[in-house]
This record gives sequence, structure tokens and C-alpha cells, in this order.
Amino acid sequence: MATATSTAGEVQLTNLVNYTLVKLHVAMGLIFFIIVGLMGFLYSLQLDGIYPFPGIEFLSPGRVRMIHTAGAAYGFLVNMFTGLLYWAVPRFTGYKVLNEKYLGGFMFIGLQAAVLITVVAILFLGQADNVEWGETPWWLDPIIVAWLLLHAIQFGAPIIKASQKAPLYVTGWYVSAMLVWTPLVVFMGNFIPRFWSAGSGAGAVQSTFIHDLVGLYVTPVAWGLMYYFVPVIMKKPMWSHGLSLLGFWGLAFFYPMNGVHHFLWSPIPMFAQYSAVFATVAIEFAVTSVLINFMMTLRGSAEVLKYNVPLRYMYTGAIFYWITCFQCAFHVTLTFQKVIHFTDWVTGHAHLIMFGTFGMWVLGMAEYVWPRLFGKETMYSKGMSEGAYWLLTIGVIAMFVDLTAAGLVQGFDWIGLNPWIDSVNFSKPFWYFRSVAGIMMLTGLLMYAMNFYKTATAGKGLEAQLRNA
Amino acid sequence: MGKMERFPFIVLVAGLGFFLFADFISWALPMFVLKDIPMKKVSDLAAEAKAKNTSAWADFERLAMYYPEQFKKYYGEVNEKSFEKALRIGHHWYVAEGCWNCHSQMIRPVSNETLRFGIPGVSNTVSYPSEYQNELQAPVLWGTKRIGPDLIREAAVHNIDWQVAHLYNPLTTSPGSNMPGYPWYFEKDKNGNIVPNERGIGLLTYVMWLGSWEVKPTKEWALK
Repeated sequence: MATATSTAGEVQLTNLVNYTLVKLHVAMGLIFFIIVGLMGFLYSLQLDGIYPFPGIEFLSPGRVRMIHTAGAAYGFLVNMFTGLLYWAVPRFTGYKVLNEKYLGGFMFIGLQAAVLITVVAILFLGQADNVEWGETPWWLDPIIVAWLLLHAIQFGAPIIKASQKAPLYVTGWYVSAMLVWTPLVVFMGNFIPRFWSAGSGAGAVQSTFIHDLVGLYVTPVAWGLMYYFVPVIMKKPMWSHGLSLLGFWGLAFFYPMNGVHHFLWSPIPMFAQYSAVFATVAIEFAVTSVLINFMMTLRGSAEVLKYNVPLRYMYTGAIFYWITCFQCAFHVTLTFQKVIHFTDWVTGHAHLIMFGTFGMWVLGMAEYVWPRLFGKETMYSKGMSEGAYWLLTIGVIAMFVDLTAAGLVQGFDWIGLNPWIDSVNFSKPFWYFRSVAGIMMLTGLLMYAMNFYKTATAGKGLEAQLRNA
Repeated sequence: MGKMERFPFIVLVAGLGFFLFADFISWALPMFVLKDIPMKKVSDLAAEAKAKNTSAWADFERLAMYYPEQFKKYYGEVNEKSFEKALRIGHHWYVAEGCWNCHSQMIRPVSNETLRFGIPGVSNTVSYPSEYQNELQAPVLWGTKRIGPDLIREAAVHNIDWQVAHLYNPLTTSPGSNMPGYPWYFEKDKNGNIVPNERGIGLLTYVMWLGSWEVKPTKEWALK
């Protein structure tokens, strides 16, 4: 935190940040969040047997589902994280990003173009890739890797400058490592299984990719931003520097080895499966150390959660994070996998981490940043802000509990060798309930977006008020 | 401790070092262990199907017999070349349509999966590495979720007539199913009958090829 507090003051710090880039990325991220949510909801209607567009080729549920996952990765998360990094990186390093106008503008347009090309290719051209979370057609992947390299120099430049003066703040560790990991991960996951291997070898690479995109892109950016925003909002430092180090190095060492746990009992050699199980259980300890650090930071300031919605999003997400990782330490074992592999249990787990944790975190961070970007004191409506929070939180808990239960029903039904259609029929009540939870989450998102729109357009700015006073 | 908080140390140790170590354990070493399994191209798979006269080859001949007009138009004669073309087209649309979002292609040695999906009379029907070592499993199609059943032994489960009806409208063959219909894999022939088109013949060939290497063709499979 040394640079952020010592260099002059608020005025100088605000000049470091390019507001337009933050606004653009966050707004696009939110738009894509709603779109991918809608896609997921549409797909869930197919499972309920009430799909509204049957027989239309380009709205086939299988294709819509790929937009849901690929769009969540590149449209929603990358946009949101990039926008928030544009806010946080210059502020904690004290230096501007490499180039705002040309590189920043080019990266913004490039990212939106890549997402739109993916949508057109998957829906209309029948061009997709059977790598989960890498559904982007393979000919688009070199462009994504190139974009990630630009992303690395854009945010690497201020971090290198800051690192020459003093040790980096925690956020800097996470972001530095992520800038190296992400292009390597995307290259590895999209090219090696297609061009340099097949079958079990490809499966091992693909599973490593699925997990590394979560563990080595989404997680480090998200934790890095948490380490920045939480102390800023609470106006006090993190509880323990030592635990921050432990959490980071634990994640860096164990996370990349987790991937093969996606294919336990598969034809991948067992030593790789065992190492993945071991590393996954080990990561739980690293995660717990991070959580202890955040909870102890909260100690004495818990009443802030009552009125500060952004902080509440962050701590809700953090608790969901710990639940997900705790759950993971158990269901990653070969015994649990006998029952829950290929079931909705996994889908519930994925939604709790992606929506419940990372989704909630970026929504909280964006809600903290957004009024400041437009010179407003607060969000437009406290009611909409609270309403969105509760709809999203209850919605995602409902979906998680529902799908976890559905997963157990399916798993035991399959073991019981009942006719296949039984497992479909038994799942239907759960799938209906999942769609209802989806409606809650979508309504929450729309309310959240409406509040954003109103904050940006309506009401007096802080500057105008000050001038009148 | 200060060193661990500097950019070059983090990038070299965590960013590159740990990452490469993990990749070595997770997939480079497994690939090395599996390196002696021959890698098959689609043309090899076609040659194998013909040479062993597998059920997939018989089904391909059956498609040519059922739909002569479309088959001639899109694939010409029944030979290795056209079988290869059908497998490629079928695999492409299996991937593009997201079939792998709901159907896995892996039988695990646990949870009675060999009983449910295995082939009666074939002793070892659990998934094994060599059956995936081909061009159509790059990237591998194991899948992550089962809404519908596993398909890696599909050749032994249903016949081609069932598959055609099921692809057009799954409810006709599987009441209660929530699989969508795929009418765009069909067209009308000159008599006005609804028949599979180029993509449809490819997809049916691909699905009936899955597991055909384990099925022993019986006499009644042969065409007159």
C-alpha cells in the first residue's frame, strides 16, 4: 500500500486512471453478463421441455449453451476484470498503464470483436471447439493469445516501474503472475489438444486448461482486486502480511496441478489423477489462510456490511468461495467422484464459484467504482441496490442447493441401473426450480444494470453540487 | 521476504517455474507414458472399418441403400474415401452442435457404468486409452455432463433406423426425453419423403461409428 497512500493525495491519484476505459469495459461486461445469463436461462428451458424456439438451427440449445460458457469467460469476466484493473493497477502502483488512448482503445475494440465473432461463429457458422471454456473456434484463439500479450504489457508496465522502487503490494503479486499465466494457459489449452496430441493426452491438457483458466486467470485477478478494494473501502490495512504471502504462494504452487481432477476414473494415467487430488486438497489450506486474513480484517468493522453494499457483495462472495473450495476438497476424492461425476452437482458447484463468488465480487467492485466514475456521491437508488443484492444472493444459493441435490439424485439413480429416462424424469422438478432461480438472478441483474444506467445519466454530479454550495 | 514481493521473482518462480512444473506432472508426463499408442488419422479409421467390416461400415452401406438419392448426391459410392468424409462431417457437426454438452463419451470402471453402457458379451468395455488415440478425439470428447446417456458404445445400443427417427424428433423414440429435435439435418427427396441430408448422413455415420470397434458383427448384419 506504500505507493497508494504516500504519493500526494486523491487528486493526483484520480489523474492516473483513464475513466473512459473503466466505464467502457465495465459497461460491456455488465451487458454481456445479462446476455450470458439470458442464454443460460434459455438453455435451462430446454431441460424443462419448454424451449421457446424449437426447430430453429441458430438458436439450437446446444449452441446457446456454448455462448453461455464462452461468453461468461470472454464477454463478461475479461471485460469486467480489465475495466477494474484499469482502475486498480494505476492506483496501487502510482503509474499510468502503458498506453491509454491507442493500446487501450485497440484492446477494448479487439475484445468486443473477438466476443462477437465467437457468437456469430458458434450460432450461425457451426464453428466451435469441444474444449470446455475454450469453445471459441480454433482460428480465433491466436487472436485471443495476442490480445492477452497486449494485456500483459499494458498492465505489466506500471507494475514493473513500481517494483523497481519498493516491494509490490499483494495485488501486484497476483496480477504479475496472472499476466504471465493467462497467455500460456490459453495457448496450451487451445492448441496442444488439437495439434500435438489426442485422446487421453488431450484430455489431460484440456482438463488442466479448464481449471487453469479459473485458477490462473480468474482467481488471481479476483483475489488481487479483493486485496485492493477491501482495505480501501474499510480504510484499514489487511490483517496479516504473512498470511497474504502464504495464500499467494500456496495458490501459485498447487493451483496449476489441479486440472486432472476433472477427469478422475478416466483413461489418464493414475499418477496424474492422484497428484491432482492431492493438490486440490492442499489448495483448500491456502484458500482458508486467505479467508482467515479477510475475516480478521473485517473484525471490528462488521457493521460496515449493513450499509455498504459493495463490501457486502465482496464478503458474500468470499464466503461462497470458501464453501466452494471446502466442497471441492471432498468431492475431488475418487470416492465422491463415483457418484457425482457427470451430474448436476458439478453444475451447481460451477455456478456457485463463477456467479456466487466471482460474479458477486465484480458486481461489488463495479458498484463501488461506478458512482465515482461519474462524479456521483452514491448509486442512484439504494432500494435497487439492495434489491439486486438480495435477488442475486438468494437466487444463487437456491440454484446451488437445488443442483447439488439434483446431482445426488442423478448419481444414485445411475448407479442403481434404472432406465435412463428415469433420471431425466426425476431431475425435472429440480430443473424447473433451477429456472426459477435463474429468473431471480436475471431480475437481480437487470435491476442492478438499471441502477447503473440511472446513476450514469440521472441526478446531479458531485462537482455540480459543490459549485452550487 | 522482500524478494518474494518483486516483479521478476514472482514472474520467474510463480509465473513460469510453478506453471511448467505443474504442466509437466499434469499432462506432459501422461503423454510420455502413452506415447507408444499409435495415433490414427481419419483415413486409418475408415480403412480399419472397411477391413474389419465393422458394424459402422454395414450402417454406412445401409444409409446408401435407404437414401440412394441423397447418398449419391453428397457422398457418391460406398468406399473408404466417402466413409472418411462422412466421419469428418459428422464429427464436425457433433462438436458444433454441442452434442458433447449433454452426452459423454467415456465409461468409467465404477458406478456400474460398464453394466449400463458396456456391450453384453464383451468382457472389457470400460474406456481405455488406445480407443481415443485418433484424430476425431483431438480435442477429446469425454464431455463433462450427462443429460442423455453416454455414447461411446452407441453402435451396440440402437440401430440406424432408430437413430434416424431419434435425430429428427427424439420424442418419437424416447418418450419424456428433453433432447431437442434436429430437423435441419434432413431434407425432402424427390418423392417428398423426409430424409437425412449431407450433414445428417455424416452425423448418423459418426454416431453409429462410436463403439463399432467393439461390436462383433453377426451374420444378420450383412446386407443382401
